[in-house]
Amino acid sequence: MRLSIFRFDPDRDRKPYMQDYELVPEPSERMLLDVLVRLKTVDDSLTFRRSCREGVCGSDAMNINGRNGLACITPVSGLKEPVELRPLPSFPVIRDLVVDMSQFFKQYHSIRPYLINDEPEPDKERVQSPEERAQLDGLYECILCACCTSQCPSSWWNPEKFVGPAGLLQAYRFIVDSRDRAGAQRLDDLNDPFRLFRCRTIMNCTEVCPRGLSPSRAIEKIRLMMVKASL
Amino acid sequence: MRHALSGLNAWLVQRLSAVYSLLFIVYLSLHFLLEPPGSYEQWQQWMRQPLVSTASLIFFGALSLHMWVGLRDVVLDYVHSPGLRVCLLASVAIGLAAMAAWTARILLG
Repeated sequence: MRLSIFRFDPDRDRKPYMQDYELVPEPSERMLLDVLVRLKTVDDSLTFRRSCREGVCGSDAMNINGRNGLACITPVSGLKEPVELRPLPSFPVIRDLVVDMSQFFKQYHSIRPYLINDEPEPDKERVQSPEERAQLDGLYECILCACCTSQCPSSWWNPEKFVGPAGLLQAYRFIVDSRDRAGAQRLDDLNDPFRLFRCRTIMNCTEVCPRGLSPSRAIEKIRLMMVKASL
Repeated sequence: MRHALSGLNAWLVQRLSAVYSLLFIVYLSLHFLLEPPGSYEQWQQWMRQPLVSTASLIFFGALSLHMWVGLRDVVLDYVHSPGLRVCLLASVAIGLAAMAAWTARILLG
């Protein structure tokens, strides 16, 4: 198996470069991350993030043959060779495949990703009906891997002002939560030319989401809620 | 509105103007396909009918607004220097307003 991997060590390299590797995957090495972990035993300078290795933590998001995805759930068998691995597009590179996610999490925090409810706390819990709970399906599963935001042209042009698909999916997740009481404020906070409305409905986000979620649908629903609220 | 430029309003204007323009273009195409005017005079007569001239006027208004939102989006996406952005937005607004006024003069004249 041939791989071409983006390499950059800010302490040593003046410019990034692509390094070629070749190895024969063992039968047990079925996912791309398995191959990367073995490559690291050959070349310990190769740097990447990984943790759960089963598509839950979102650490090993990277650009695989031009498309963002999680290395741990990308089967080696379907990949065109040489497999080109790059860090998430548009994010500042710290080293090799490791990127700086500060801006991404800043946008995530800007939507206040927690329940806001000043009503007196009930004795046990804030109860939700099964229907109300079902509203959160397709939203709560987001693992914040940043595959979507890093592949979104609107985020490339205005990362400081546009919340981005991941943040907007989370915004919708709290807007539709029956236990939250800040829906109107949340909608108002997104109603400017940049935070939500830089979205051009390009739908790269939905296309690449490794969890099969649809940030573009969530964005559309926020827009429709805004229209309803303004009537 | 907390900002000089709106989010939801611009988006709504873009959607509504697109729907109106599409309907008008379909109507115009059908008219020219089924009842093509035989001469320039006939065409002028048809255009002078109050319903047709009003619908055309609304169409060009919708087209101008649609172009404004679209071009505004291009400027907001790619132009990050505030000074240059204001200059470009002003030029687009003035250009579109002049074209809209000229079109209105032709249609109403």
